[in-house]
Amino acid sequence: MSERANSASISGAGRISGGTYDRVTISGAGKVIGDLAANELRISGAGKVEGKVRAREIVVSGSTTFTDSVHGDEMRVSGSARIEGRVEVKELKCSGSIKVHGGISAQYLKSSGHLQVDGDVSAEIFKASGGFQIEGLLSADHVEIAIGGACLVREIGGERIDVRRGGWREKGILFDGLIKLFTGGGTAELRAGLIEGDEVHLEDTIADTVRGKTVEIGPGCKIGTVEYSESLRVASGAKVKNKSRLGSE
Amino acid sequence: MLLNKMPSEEENLISKKEVLSQTGISYGQLYRWKRKGLIPEEWFIRRSTFTGQETFFPRDKIIPRIEQIKRMKEEHPLDDLAELITRKVDEKLEVAFSRLRDLGWLDERLLGICGIQQEEERVPMADAFCLGIVRRLQRTAREEELELVKRTLEEAGAGELIPRVREEGLQLYLLRKRIAAGGLSAQISAVVIAPAGALFDPELEVIKAVDLRVVLDEIKLGFGASKVRTLRKQLREEAARLKKQELKRLKEEMHKEEG
Repeated sequence: MSERANSASISGAGRISGGTYDRVTISGAGKVIGDLAANELRISGAGKVEGKVRAREIVVSGSTTFTDSVHGDEMRVSGSARIEGRVEVKELKCSGSIKVHGGISAQYLKSSGHLQVDGDVSAEIFKASGGFQIEGLLSADHVEIAIGGACLVREIGGERIDVRRGGWREKGILFDGLIKLFTGGGTAELRAGLIEGDEVHLEDTIADTVRGKTVEIGPGCKIGTVEYSESLRVASGAKVKNKSRLGSE
Repeated sequence: MLLNKMPSEEENLISKKEVLSQTGISYGQLYRWKRKGLIPEEWFIRRSTFTGQETFFPRDKIIPRIEQIKRMKEEHPLDDLAELITRKVDEKLEVAFSRLRDLGWLDERLLGICGIQQEEERVPMADAFCLGIVRRLQRTAREEELELVKRTLEEAGAGELIPRVREEGLQLYLLRKRIAAGGLSAQISAVVIAPAGALFDPELEVIKAVDLRVVLDEIKLGFGASKVRTLRKQLREEAARLKKQELKRLKEEMHKEEG
């Protein structure tokens, strides 16, 4: 373990105590004990942070557990990260797998890997092309989902909700297998209890209720009830049990 | 629709659908305001109805809150609104005497009416508020009417009143009415604090209406009314510009990644 003024780096196995640092780098197996404030936190080995994290930039490419909340400007996860508290960042990009117990709040969230959240997810822009499991509400101005695995969410609410069939089908069996490995199997579709938005476009979606101003139910959808106020289009391959147009009284 | 109303009638709840159609806001706005903390989590009440899960709100809270947000979002960036709406405590604080000087409010007669001593270093918010109001009335109101304003504010209790100013858009009206009977004629004055747009009987003459929100802003920011308006406009424009820039940057980045 070598230590520079205001920066800390663990490259074998080691531990540092929390505090304020410029850069913290863990490339072996490392542990941070206590609350950590840093400009940069990079973990490429196996890391564990026992305490709150507040950092401008957080990069996880190994496997890391955070036992408390994570605050930052930018967070990138290409390995696997587990956060037992909340995640509050401006930008979150995940191409690996991320598991959050306390909910996520971000301005921009993009996930091409797997996302699992026990609470709510709120963002201005939410883009997912992998799979996810969100136990609570997914709320964003723009929700863009390119289905790339099993997607499960209790509720989606926002201005524009766009769910498309993912491009993974064209990428062949290997890719399909990889996705199944990541998501624990399951078919590539979106399952939701409720979807509410002003402009809603859905494909390969199974939902109890969909409400919106302009609603398009595309191929592969099975919807219990659709309530719309302006327009509704249902593709030939889609199933909708009940449709009702809301009056503007 | 009828069935949906069943649970709402018991506890005076209103369904999300009704909220949207009554206030004319969109799903996008409702969810955005929830995210920004402008509508408290606890107001979202989930109930099972005949048609499945539905969200209800306390009717007497949600409608005024949405109207308030709609009104205020014209003047403030959305991110500041949560703070403005939930901010109540600091309005009970004190104001530095020097601020009153900066505002150009130091008038011996008016200070006297509001019970502010020249030597004081800090002035209770309530007294500064009173001063901000009476100085707007000084040209039109008589001495005893200014006293009446002061007594009205005292009676209302500034601590109670100030938080309501923003929530309800309160105005202070100075009214006069002439009464003539049996050759005798008298004029009576009245002071009323009510939300903007209050209606009075045609014989009552509205001498002056003071927007109490503007007075509060003046004190808080330490500028006169016209300056407050200009600053707000600048802030709005700046916020819009920054947001645009940020969105553009994100979009470009997204394209780059996709390409």
